Amino acid sequence: MNRVLAFSGRNLKELLRDPLSYIFCLGFPLVMLVIMSIVNQSISPEAGMTIFNIENLAGGIAMFGQSFIMLFTCLSVSKDRSGAFLTRLYASPMKSVDFIAGYTLPVLALAVIQSVITFAASIIAGAVMEASTISAGGALMAVVVLIPGAVFFIAAGLLFGSLFNEKAAPGLCSIIISLASLLGCVWFDAEGSGGVMLDVCRALPFYHCVKAARMATVLEFSGIGIHFLIVAAYAVLFSVLASFVFQRKMRADLS
Amino acid sequence: MNGAGKTTTIRMLTCLSKPTGGEAYVCGHNVSTESALVKKAVGVSPQDTAVAENLTVRENLELMAKIYGFPHEKRNERVAEMQRMFKLDEVMEQRAKTLSGGWKRRVSIAMALISEPEVLFLDEPTLGLDVLARRELWSAIQSLKGSMTVILTTHYMEEAEQLSDRIAIMVNGKLRAVGTLSELEALTGEKGLENAFIKIAEAPEGGVNA
Repeated sequence: MNRVLAFSGRNLKELLRDPLSYIFCLGFPLVMLVIMSIVNQSISPEAGMTIFNIENLAGGIAMFGQSFIMLFTCLSVSKDRSGAFLTRLYASPMKSVDFIAGYTLPVLALAVIQSVITFAASIIAGAVMEASTISAGGALMAVVVLIPGAVFFIAAGLLFGSLFNEKAAPGLCSIIISLASLLGCVWFDAEGSGGVMLDVCRALPFYHCVKAARMATVLEFSGIGIHFLIVAAYAVLFSVLASFVFQRKMRADLS
Repeated sequence: MNGAGKTTTIRMLTCLSKPTGGEAYVCGHNVSTESALVKKAVGVSPQDTAVAENLTVRENLELMAKIYGFPHEKRNERVAEMQRMFKLDEVMEQRAKTLSGGWKRRVSIAMALISEPEVLFLDEPTLGLDVLARRELWSAIQSLKGSMTVILTTHYMEEAEQLSDRIAIMVNGKLRAVGTLSELEALTGEKGLENAFIKIAEAPEGGVNA
């Protein structure tokens, strides 16, 4: 456990000392929250468009923010793999499980803090625009419900960081971030459009992650279980896959 | 010699690479079957500087001490010891990425030493350093003599002469000769390590004629 905590501490410090972490993990989602809230104010109620209402926007933006956690996990792993520092740690008593836990724990903490800040900002934004329907309890539940999503994104980051080098990994993650916001229905209402688009969205975890967060935000728990379970299943699947690939890559690095 | 297999040998002896054949033992432990015991007994400073760039020198040293499971007091003691041994006072609170190549090498070796290894592997520790930085590192390495076994790879003959009690000459993955400087000179009938080295390296496999 000492080794995990030591390596987690190192990874957390590396993240917190990189200004890009603040810009992408915190700044960008918050800017999007403000912009979309302003856009929402200019949409007339007659249009019946509720996707940018703060209680819908908060969950979507929170998931969108988590997707950047994937990028940073991926960059940490791929950068470490390309340098000699990991070689030194491979020669130490650290085991592969120590590495995986050491990469996961700090970014998981960061993902939860990011969700808390996003919902706190959403409550403030709602209050300022006199349209708040997010309660503190709803925000808290949404933060909890978003945890499997965070685990999924971290596992995806670990997987891509193990598979790709630090030049290829960010490009791939950018594509997935764009897809996550699109297919997670953060910016549009897939249920309204229906058809193949909705089927594709439902087949992937992003939609269910946003849906569960939105339901939790308004304390609507009827039917939330299926969305939560689908995201949790993806999180478990990707965690197992990422652990397997990381261990394979570690062995390959050592051969 | 380039491509002789120095780094590969170090990687195998520190459990970073699996040997494709044969057996090797470090401190009595088999590198293939007892890697956990070998890893506890050795310290390694790889050819490239292996430091966490965004951590300070102190944090880098503490990290390694934590990974090797040292309790708080012992950890502080070891960090202070490394600080003194490698004269790190002026850079202790500086982030590693802001250090010069010479300082980074010193920190890298201190990180390998903090776990109190029985055997310390230094893979070309002075590669790319200027004369002053190299001399300072030599002095740090010399101060380790007597407290542990140090295995150091180098292309610099003067470095091998200055630092080594015993010198091994490796060509194409094979140790062609091992001995003190005077033993190698006697073996080849040459004066100085450079001449002895050339004679050994250029001799056909199987023997050197003095």
